[in-house]
Amino acid sequence: MKEKILASLKRLNIEEYIINVTSYKSAQMFFVKKSLDCKRAENTKTYNVRVYRSFEKNGKEMKGSSSVFVYDGMTDEEIDASLGRAYLAASFVCNPTFELMECTENKFITMESGLFDHTLEECCEKASEALFAEDNRSDAFINSAEIFAYETNVEIISSTGIDSGYTKRKISGEFVAQCKEPQDVETYKDFQYYDLDCESLKSLVRKTLEYTLERAKATQAPKAGKYRVIISDHYVCSVFSYYMGRAQAPYIYAGYSTFEVGQNVQAVNAEGESADVKGDKVSMTLVPTEPMSDEGIWQQERELLDEGVLKTYHGGLRFSRYLGIEPTGYFGCIKVAPGSMSVEDMKKEPYLWVVNFSDFTLDDFTGHFGGEIRLAFLFDGEKVTPVTGGSINGSIIDSQTNMHFSKEIQKSANFMGPYAMCFEDVSVAGV
Amino acid sequence: MKVKESEYLKAKKPILQKLLNKLLAKYEYASILANDSKSTNYSVSKAGTSIYEDGTLSERGFCVKVYDNGKAAEYSFNAIEEDTIGEVFGEITERLDALGKTLPEGVTAFRFDGVEDEKLFINESTEYAVDPEEKGDNDIIDLLTRISEKGRAFDEKIIDCHVAFSYQKYSKMFLSKNKDLTQNILWSCGYIVAMAKDGEEIQNGYKPVSMLGGIEVLDPLEDKLEEACKIAMDLLSAEPMIPGEYDCICEPDITGMIVHEAFGHGVEMDMFVKDRAQAKDFIGKQVASELITMHDGACTIPQVATYFFDDEGVPAHDTVIIEKGILKTGICDAQSAMHLGIAGTGNGRRQDTTRKAYTRMTNTIFEAGTSKVEDMIASVKYGFLLCQASSGMEDPKNWGIQIMADMAREIKDGKLTGKVFSPIVMTGYVPDLLKSISMISDQIEAGGTGYCAKGEKELVKVSDGGPYIKARIRLG
Repeated sequence: MKEKILASLKRLNIEEYIINVTSYKSAQMFFVKKSLDCKRAENTKTYNVRVYRSFEKNGKEMKGSSSVFVYDGMTDEEIDASLGRAYLAASFVCNPTFELMECTENKFITMESGLFDHTLEECCEKASEALFAEDNRSDAFINSAEIFAYETNVEIISSTGIDSGYTKRKISGEFVAQCKEPQDVETYKDFQYYDLDCESLKSLVRKTLEYTLERAKATQAPKAGKYRVIISDHYVCSVFSYYMGRAQAPYIYAGYSTFEVGQNVQAVNAEGESADVKGDKVSMTLVPTEPMSDEGIWQQERELLDEGVLKTYHGGLRFSRYLGIEPTGYFGCIKVAPGSMSVEDMKKEPYLWVVNFSDFTLDDFTGHFGGEIRLAFLFDGEKVTPVTGGSINGSIIDSQTNMHFSKEIQKSANFMGPYAMCFEDVSVAGV
Repeated sequence: MKVKESEYLKAKKPILQKLLNKLLAKYEYASILANDSKSTNYSVSKAGTSIYEDGTLSERGFCVKVYDNGKAAEYSFNAIEEDTIGEVFGEITERLDALGKTLPEGVTAFRFDGVEDEKLFINESTEYAVDPEEKGDNDIIDLLTRISEKGRAFDEKIIDCHVAFSYQKYSKMFLSKNKDLTQNILWSCGYIVAMAKDGEEIQNGYKPVSMLGGIEVLDPLEDKLEEACKIAMDLLSAEPMIPGEYDCICEPDITGMIVHEAFGHGVEMDMFVKDRAQAKDFIGKQVASELITMHDGACTIPQVATYFFDDEGVPAHDTVIIEKGILKTGICDAQSAMHLGIAGTGNGRRQDTTRKAYTRMTNTIFEAGTSKVEDMIASVKYGFLLCQASSGMEDPKNWGIQIMADMAREIKDGKLTGKVFSPIVMTGYVPDLLKSISMISDQIEAGGTGYCAKGEKELVKVSDGGPYIKARIRLG
């Protein structure tokens, strides 16, 4: 098929293009309580072709693009029709011109992982074994679970001579922990590993079962008011994604973000004025989870913030070219330096520690974060009480000069950094 | 005009029939779902213009489902020719045999008894006025560009105006021993996001359109531009909400979010199978005000989640979930229906042929009532008009509400004061909110520019909506 696509591009005189050939193999298992409810396997391959077209409009050089999928079994005529239509569509896409990614080095990489030591079916079975290994309590149990073992093979071919690719494997899934007494509650948790990390999965299950047990004891929502709020686990990653979002090249180009390289972006208040940072300073690095982007950019780690000071913008090809910066590609993981306080220190003053939200969201544009509290621990200075219900409603822009991060760290497929963080005076809607 | 049948699926049908026959010789049940889908996204903003085929919705693929001694298994693939039928059959049996040989201690494979496969033939298509492919990319981009440029010129605080259009045209075929089903569907949607900036803060005003049909969906879009810009500007002067419980009037998109997120997910009956939904214990009981009647179904209203049969070959339904406040039933996929010993409701949906089918909502609405919106606002002594739903999360187990809205407009002594609060987090216990509904308006609005996820994945197109409702809601 790859040869048929290249021949069609030649027939149509399409000079600039990039082809992404992606093969997926997977093994999947779906459990309800202690039953395997369904199993699945997959073997598919997709061809995505992006074509570019240079033209002039109002005396300015333009380069439009459009992309289509091509499928196995298509005839030459069908491929010509599909690519021809995409090429025509590209002539209506009036974007300023830019250079495609040049070829620096061609290679095929198999990303290191212990998952390659087994078949996908075995990976899936071993992960399910790890998941159920901790399901041995009488007071809380796994209600249901889904486990996926994936192998993705990507090949990228471009008109600039790129012919590279990579193969990666991952285990992902989700499970629901349930506790029936003293009240019937559950906790949803998802996971993703690039290695056969059975111990981490077991630990996640163990901790989730424990939190579910605590949630079963929680009956009251906290009283409405302002709280010193602690969040932990993957919610911490969501907060730092604000800096990643605001430093991306499309936001800078379109003027959505005023972040400037060299600026202390943390030392800014809601009015855009500079302010003192009383809390921990943010140092973070962007980490790619694939070696090459779909535009043919070899991706590597990039320092984003050093003690609140922006070190770089990041983004794909077009907007990076417009800004005159090096295209960095896309990042699936962020690494943040730990903070100055231990979790125990954070817990010395009264706090509301939210360990589970129904959904925690942070809006890059407004800086607002919030979510409904599924389980939190409220310390009033004397005793700790599990609470549930109500919601937190805060702003990273208001809080960023006075946040504290834990010394303790966490590590997952998309985050390496503080296990917990603490905000002052966050509004809580409760009873 | 009716959507045409896929020539690709027509050509593959005899090949798939041969594969099905081989599978039926080995397994007690086998079916094949085939999908030929094309979805294209168009967008224009200050950042540029784009046209691309949507990777989530575009595919040519096949999903085989078998029951092997009662055990459910599926295999997804997207290439088959006359001369590779044997090879594909070999890979299906080999891969499925290899998986699940070793199960965790204490875990067994569930065995289903007697899979039903009633004789059924369907060949249906939806209708449209103008096919986006025939309209031409140039005309579509011209229209989006005109609206975007007009939006950007609306006020100096409007920093961008993102205008988008997308459509999905798909043909699905479902083959089993007794079923021969084909459907051809076209839906379209579009939206405007006007972005206003002041200091570090950026706010947006959002106005969507969606329909079962073609490019005609864009006809009313330009008329909504001014309102989108005004919402974005109003939000710049918004104050933080003072937490508390208030009388609220919900606009239809907020009603839709309540219908879908707060209640709809709780009556997806795969959750009943797992004991994950409180609704299971409330069938026949009052869960809402007597004013409320709720529907879900692929044939409830013509919208983006309309179809003739689901991804498991079950015909589309219009299910009455709540009737005058009483919970009547849930919605169900075929395998969950087998677990529960009931009939499926045509709600078994897959993101694509590489994904499992789950119980999923389709077009979910509250019926209209009799009140006028102005009378509803006039009835509020102090409260809010809630506008522009932004996100929501389900909690079937505990019926906890989490819905985020962008804006609450203050109402004092029955009149809008012009004061705006943002952002808004709505929380509480679902039946408390639904039972507190005291007025509902006489017309419904429904739309579906977004997607619904199951947990954090498995995106499917849905629509939701209803009338304006008046309820007592905890805001934060």
